[in-house]
Amino acid sequence: MAFSRRTALSVAFAAAASLTMVGMTLPAAAETVLKRGIGSTIGTLDPQVNFLGYEAWIQDDMYEGLVTPGADGEPIPGAAEKWDISDDGLTYTFHLRDGLKWSDGTPLVAQSFVDGVARTLDPATASEKNYIFSSTISVTGAAEYMSADNKGVRDPKTLGISAPDDKTVVIKLDKPAPYMLYLMNSFYVAPLHKPSLEKFGKDFVKAENIVSNGAYHMSESVPQSHVTLVKNPNYWNAANVKIDKVIYSITEDDNTAIKLFKTGEQDITYDIPSDQIEPLQKEFGDQVHVTNSTETVYFSFNLKKPPFDNAKVRQALSMALDRDVMVNKVVKGGYVMSCGYVIPVPGYDAPKVPECGMDKAARVEKAKALFKEGMAEAKMDKLSLKIETTANASMRKFGETAAVMWKQVLGVNASVNSQDRDAWLAVFTAGTWDVFGDDLIGDFAGPETFLAYMDPRAEAGYNWVSPEYEALYDKAMAITDQAARYKVLAQAEKVLLDSYLTAPAAAAPSRSMVRSNVKGWVDNPAGWHGTQFMSLQ
Amino acid sequence: MWSYTLRRTLGSVPTLLALCVITFFMMRVAPGGPFSGNRRVSPEFVKLMEDAYHLNDPLWQQFWTWFNGVLHFDLGPSLKLRDYNVSELIAIGLPTSLEVGAWAMLLSTLVGVVLGIAGALRRNGPIDYSAGAIAMVGVAVPIFVIGPLLQIVFGLQLRWLPVARWDDSWQCRVLPVLTLALPNIAYVSRLMRSSMIETARTNYVRTARAKGIGEWRTILKHALRGAIMPVVAYLGPATAVTISGSVVVETVFSIPGIGRFFVESVANRDYPLIMGVTLLYGAIVIAANLVTDIARGLLDPKVSYE
Repeated sequence: MAFSRRTALSVAFAAAASLTMVGMTLPAAAETVLKRGIGSTIGTLDPQVNFLGYEAWIQDDMYEGLVTPGADGEPIPGAAEKWDISDDGLTYTFHLRDGLKWSDGTPLVAQSFVDGVARTLDPATASEKNYIFSSTISVTGAAEYMSADNKGVRDPKTLGISAPDDKTVVIKLDKPAPYMLYLMNSFYVAPLHKPSLEKFGKDFVKAENIVSNGAYHMSESVPQSHVTLVKNPNYWNAANVKIDKVIYSITEDDNTAIKLFKTGEQDITYDIPSDQIEPLQKEFGDQVHVTNSTETVYFSFNLKKPPFDNAKVRQALSMALDRDVMVNKVVKGGYVMSCGYVIPVPGYDAPKVPECGMDKAARVEKAKALFKEGMAEAKMDKLSLKIETTANASMRKFGETAAVMWKQVLGVNASVNSQDRDAWLAVFTAGTWDVFGDDLIGDFAGPETFLAYMDPRAEAGYNWVSPEYEALYDKAMAITDQAARYKVLAQAEKVLLDSYLTAPAAAAPSRSMVRSNVKGWVDNPAGWHGTQFMSLQ
Repeated sequence: MWSYTLRRTLGSVPTLLALCVITFFMMRVAPGGPFSGNRRVSPEFVKLMEDAYHLNDPLWQQFWTWFNGVLHFDLGPSLKLRDYNVSELIAIGLPTSLEVGAWAMLLSTLVGVVLGIAGALRRNGPIDYSAGAIAMVGVAVPIFVIGPLLQIVFGLQLRWLPVARWDDSWQCRVLPVLTLALPNIAYVSRLMRSSMIETARTNYVRTARAKGIGEWRTILKHALRGAIMPVVAYLGPATAVTISGSVVVETVFSIPGIGRFFVESVANRDYPLIMGVTLLYGAIVIAANLVTDIARGLLDPKVSYE
């Protein structure tokens, strides 16, 4: 942890220094306004409930968790100025800053963070974020607190998160979670302003009632239109917040957003239509930002359905894919070809499926041979399969390309079934699928979140059995040193790739237009872009 | 006429009720639910969240709870846009959709009728051909092409109008209204033209001409009243569709109306919102048809209210 805290501090220093310098060149009186686009309608701004990427942006501006995602997405001290981690990695003690205040000027105490987590875990809140505390990091007592057996008598005191005094938050875990700090930002642990919740009920998040503790607070919210945030004078670091006002506009249509960028009505767009990256790069150069996100795209095979229970058939199908053509010629749009399950992570030496380095003729030949052997073992001579994808245009293209490649190379009669997300997931749950055009959005940009999901104990839907993987994963979780942990995690990923439970395809992109006068935007896979780190020139 | 209106209004109650019942039970057949979009939330917890919103009660009981709410003007909470109730969302979005839709209908009726008459009077002349061309474009080119095209020309290149914005200025209304009106202008003008050509050949118009009434008076006072009937019949349902919000126009021009709710609520399995907008849409269609029928009665003495 020493590593990330040191980086964190230096980032904070650098950000503060650069902001101060920019500040000196700005006229003092003019109000600086940043116009940011967000994709779809905001589902909710309830800090314990919201779950979408753009909701996280607004949340990150309005609330501060125990840590804050820095300009580069790495955690830096937030409401907590420092923390201690016990030697066994099971107890985290966060020490809050002096004099923290809510946006209404009232003091912010440690208990508010406890209240926030307890509210997230209460089924009555119906928050999708609850799984963070019960499985991603196993906070003591969280699973029991959520459980149905606990009807009506939920006592936050049974939870492994407590506030022994007004300035200390203690979190106790059942299992070590060395990536824990990535999940201590406001998106997961926003403090709860209980007096306003008690007074206004679910209306406590409306602009006229809301009380927050971040760099900004909300002044206006119009459903389907925009949310306006203004600088929070009670924020502890308000002196270093350079932008006075942020307007988040809903721009459902990406093409419209690009036009707004061109006319100067938007400084940062939420996305870039996949077919426009190249022309926009010609026109706007480095104002076009494309980087990989934490979404990994892959095909999963149904181990319960012959012949996919045969490893040779699965390997043959994976080897028949020309990933370069699939990603760089057909799907495009900033997707990054992937030879493994985990997205590219700095410092993580990811294993690769062997076909990635092979030349095309050898790869095709081997795929054909394996397919023949596997099919013989499965006592089948013809294979028809259906690839299930969401209706998302890129995901459909992945499916269609795979279908063509499997047909060409292996003579498989493959078809694609695209449905809306709910129907697609229902097919997965029902277990009736052959090949699943799959994706997973990691909670942070580290291998742990991806490999935790593929742990057979966490997701039973794949019917995968691998004690070896489980042992390696557990071993890794007990290692606090990041480099050493990543080594073991890479071994676990190798086990996953060797099993060919999945055929890796790509890492999905994160795409934004960022006007050149906006300073402080740093591309990062987790997509954290706090306005407090930005300035206008 | 009043008793007719009353009868029709009462008669619409069973229609709306049937619409609600069918929608309510049909949407439950679709796989998935409002809380099933995240794979990492355990099924057990999904069930707990559903319990919190009474989604696991027997269906008939859920329907009754919902229906009882409707009787008390409460359409329930939205399951996805959680900061608002369905009634609040409709109250915020409907006026905007109504405004854009009303302007678009007004524009398309006026322009369509004038173009149609002009085309009919000067058949195969330049006006007729240009009106025909406009109609062809309006019918053939979908609004998801027209909208962005207008944005590029008037917003990006000429910079006369905002690309997409919604405030109190008239400028931001021009492009969406125009986009929404174009297909209707096309239909109305074609309908008007053919109907006017037909009417101009009828006996009563010939009689009017024979009596020596001027050409304009013949057209406007005698022929128009008969010729506009098909247009009026078309306008009813068209108005209902237009004022209840267009998904495409609202998306392209970032207009905070209710059109998008129609599509998004279904994709999100947001049951109360689906029910709310369906009920609203049904009521608008019924009201628009009623107004059309009354208007037809006023225009055509052959139509009786009995």
